Amino acid sequence: MKKNVRLLFIFSVIFSVMFMTACTNNESKPEPSNMNEKQKGTEESPGKVEINFWHAMSGAGQEALDRIVADFNSSQDKYTVNAEFQGSYEESLTKLRSVGGTKDAPAITQVFEVGTKFMIDSGYIEPMQSFIDKDNYDLSQLEENILNYYRVDGKLYSMPFNSSTPVMIYNKDAFKEAGLDPEKPPQTFNEVKATAEKLTKPGEQYGFSMLTYGWFFEQLVATQGGLYVNEENGRAGDATEAVFNGEEGLRVFNFLNEMNKAGTFGNYGTNWDDIRAAFQTGKVAMYMDSSAGVAAAVNNSPFEVGVAFIPYADEVERQGVAIGGASLWMSKGIAEEEQEAAWEFMKYLTTPEVQAKWHIGTGYFAINPAAYDEDIVKAEWEKYPQFKVTVDQLQQTKPSLATQGALISVFPESRQQIVTALENLYQGADPQEVLDQAAEGTNRAIEIANKTKK
Amino acid sequence: MKGSSSLHAKQSIWKKSLNARTALLYLFPSILLFSVFVFYPMFRTIYLSFFLTDQHGSAALFVGLENYAYLLESQAFRNSIKATVLFVLYTVPAGVILALFLALIANEKLKGIGFFRTIYSSSMGISVAASSVVWLFLFHPSVGMFNRLLTLVHLPEVQWLLDPDWALLSVSISTIWLNTGFSFLILLGGLQNIDGYLYESAKIDGAGYWYQLRRITIPMLSPTLFFIITISLINAFQSFGQIDILTKGGPSQATNLIVYSIYREAFVNYQFGTASAQAVFLFLCILIVTILQFKFGERKVHYQ
Repeated sequence: MKKNVRLLFIFSVIFSVMFMTACTNNESKPEPSNMNEKQKGTEESPGKVEINFWHAMSGAGQEALDRIVADFNSSQDKYTVNAEFQGSYEESLTKLRSVGGTKDAPAITQVFEVGTKFMIDSGYIEPMQSFIDKDNYDLSQLEENILNYYRVDGKLYSMPFNSSTPVMIYNKDAFKEAGLDPEKPPQTFNEVKATAEKLTKPGEQYGFSMLTYGWFFEQLVATQGGLYVNEENGRAGDATEAVFNGEEGLRVFNFLNEMNKAGTFGNYGTNWDDIRAAFQTGKVAMYMDSSAGVAAAVNNSPFEVGVAFIPYADEVERQGVAIGGASLWMSKGIAEEEQEAAWEFMKYLTTPEVQAKWHIGTGYFAINPAAYDEDIVKAEWEKYPQFKVTVDQLQQTKPSLATQGALISVFPESRQQIVTALENLYQGADPQEVLDQAAEGTNRAIEIANKTKK
Repeated sequence: MKGSSSLHAKQSIWKKSLNARTALLYLFPSILLFSVFVFYPMFRTIYLSFFLTDQHGSAALFVGLENYAYLLESQAFRNSIKATVLFVLYTVPAGVILALFLALIANEKLKGIGFFRTIYSSSMGISVAASSVVWLFLFHPSVGMFNRLLTLVHLPEVQWLLDPDWALLSVSISTIWLNTGFSFLILLGGLQNIDGYLYESAKIDGAGYWYQLRRITIPMLSPTLFFIITISLINAFQSFGQIDILTKGGPSQATNLIVYSIYREAFVNYQFGTASAQAVFLFLCILIVTILQFKFGERKVHYQ
C-alpha cells in the first residue's frame, strides 16, 4: 500500500508540473512576438509593422489562408501578418472576450456571421466603414448579396471573408435508377417530398436528409421571405422577440415532419461528417450541405453528384439564401499603424486574384465577383460544374430583410433551441409545439441579453 | 507581576501554537495553490450565481436567487438531473463490477498473465478525446462497426447516438470502457496486497473459491473498492469529454448531463449566472453523495 501511495504522489507531482508548464507556456507565448516586433521596429527595418490575425480555419481552409498570408508578406515590405489558428469560431470568440478592446487584442479577428451583432455591441472593434470612407475604397466591386448581410444601418462593420450558402446535394445515379431526370432536381417542398418517396428504398436508402443544425432552418425560413426575429429581423433595433414560429417556420417543420413520418427522411444527427458519410455511401439520396462542402462531396462520392438550389414552400416565391460563414473584424484600441496594416491586408484579401485562389482552395465564395473571371477559376469550374450552381443561387437571391439574415446577439443559444426542437420533432412531437418552445427559449435569452446590455 | 504573567501567557500561546504554526508552514504551498485554483474560483462561482451576466461575462444585474428558482422550474435542468442520475447508475456499478471481474481473473498466477494485465489496463493510456473519436466511428449510423455487425446477423440497425432511448446507454458503454483500465489497475494492486497466508489457511480449512472470495478477498479489498467507487461516482458526475464529442448533449437533450449543460450555458450562451447556479447545485449534489457514502459505505470497509 505504501508503495502505491508513493507512486501516486510522484504521478500527481508530475501532472501538476506539466499543468503548470502548460499554463506558463500559454502565457509567455505572446511575448516573443512582441519582442520581435520591437526589435524589428527599432533595428532591422524601421517602420515594418507586425500584426496578428486570429482565425478559425482548419484543414484546407488553413492551408489556403496560410498561403495567402505568406504571399501578402512577401508582396510588400511594410507589414507582416501573423496568422494564428485559435480553434473553432466559438473558441476564438471566447479568447477574444478576454483581450478585446485592449492593446493585446489581435489586429484582425475572424468571427462567424452570427457573432456580428455581438461584435458590434462589444465595443472592441473599429467599423470597417471608417476606413472605407477615408480611403475612398470602392465597395461596389464586392458581391452585393454578401455585403448586405454585414451591412448594418448602412454601415459596413466588418470585411466579409469566407462566405458560404446552403445547397441541396443529390445522387444523380440514384435519380436515374428511380427513373427520375437527374438534370431536374426537385424545387419545392412538395416536389422534394414526392422525389424522396421515389428514392427511398426501405432499409437501404433514404430519400432526403438534413443536418440537425439551426442554420439550415434559418435558410429554409429565409427563402420563403420569413423573418427570424422582430424589429425587422433585428436590423431596425434590438430584437425583443423570436418570430420564427410563424407560418414560414411551421411550413419547414411540417415539411420535415411529413417526410420523417413517411419514412423517407433519414436522421443523421448533428455531426457534419456523419451526414456526409451517409450520402457518400449511398444511404441517403438528397441532403442539404454548405456550398463549402460541394468539392468534397463530388470528390469522395463513387457516383455522379448534382447540386441544386435549396427547396422552398409551394405557396411562396423563392427568395434565395442568406449568407453564412465569417467576416474579419478590426480591433479598436490598438496602434494606428497596426490598424493601417490590417486595412492593407484586408484590401489585399479582396482582390480578384486572391479571391480566386481562396475560392478554388476552399469552395467558399469569392467576395469579389471579378474573381470568377480569373482563368484558374474557369478551369476549376470546368472540372466541377457544380460550383457554378452555388454562385448562381447566391446571385439570384432577392435582397430583402429575410435574405439579409437576422441580427441577434444570442444566436448560438437560439440555434441550440432549434436543434432541440428538430430532435423532438423527429421523435414524433407536435411541430407547432416544439417550435413554440424554441421561440420561448430564444425569447428568454434575448430578454437577458437586452436586460444586461450596457 | 501582572505584565509578566500576561507576557507569560502570551509566550505560552506562542509556544503552544508551535505545532499549529509548523503545520501551517508545511501546508502553506498547498493552501496557496488551492486558494488560487480552487477556493477563489469556487467563491467566484457562488458570487456569479446571484447575477445575470452581460455579453462579456461580467456580473451585470443582481437577481438574488432568481437563477436558482429558474433552474428548479426549468424542465431542461430537471431533465439534466435525470440524465445525470441515470448515467451514474449505468456506469458506476457496471464499471466497478467489470473491473473487479477482470482484476480477479488477471490476479491468477498463469503464464503470460502480464500480457492480459497490460491489455486490460490499456484503456487508461488513451485520452478521453481520442477514444471518443474511435467510439464515434463504431457508433456511426451508416458505416459504423456495430450496425454492420447487426446487419450481418440480420438484426435491425440501431441509431446508437441519434435515438434518445439509446444515446445515454451508448455514451455509458464508452464511458465504462474508458474507466475500466484505471479501476482495474487499482483493484489489481489491492488484490496483490492481500497476504497469501490468508488463502493458505483457508485452503487448509477446506474453504472453496467462492467462500474465499466472499470472506477473504472482498473484505480485504474493501478499502480499495471504496476508493474506486468514490472516484468512479465523482468521475461519472463530472463526465464531459465523451459527451462533447459523441453527442453534444443531444438527441433531444437525452445526454445533456449537468456538467455539459454548465459548459454550454457558460461558454456557448455566455450566461455565467445560470451556469454558476448549476455548478453550485452540482457541487452540493456531489458533496451530499460523498458524505452519505462515507457515512454508510465506510462502515463496511475493513481496514487491516
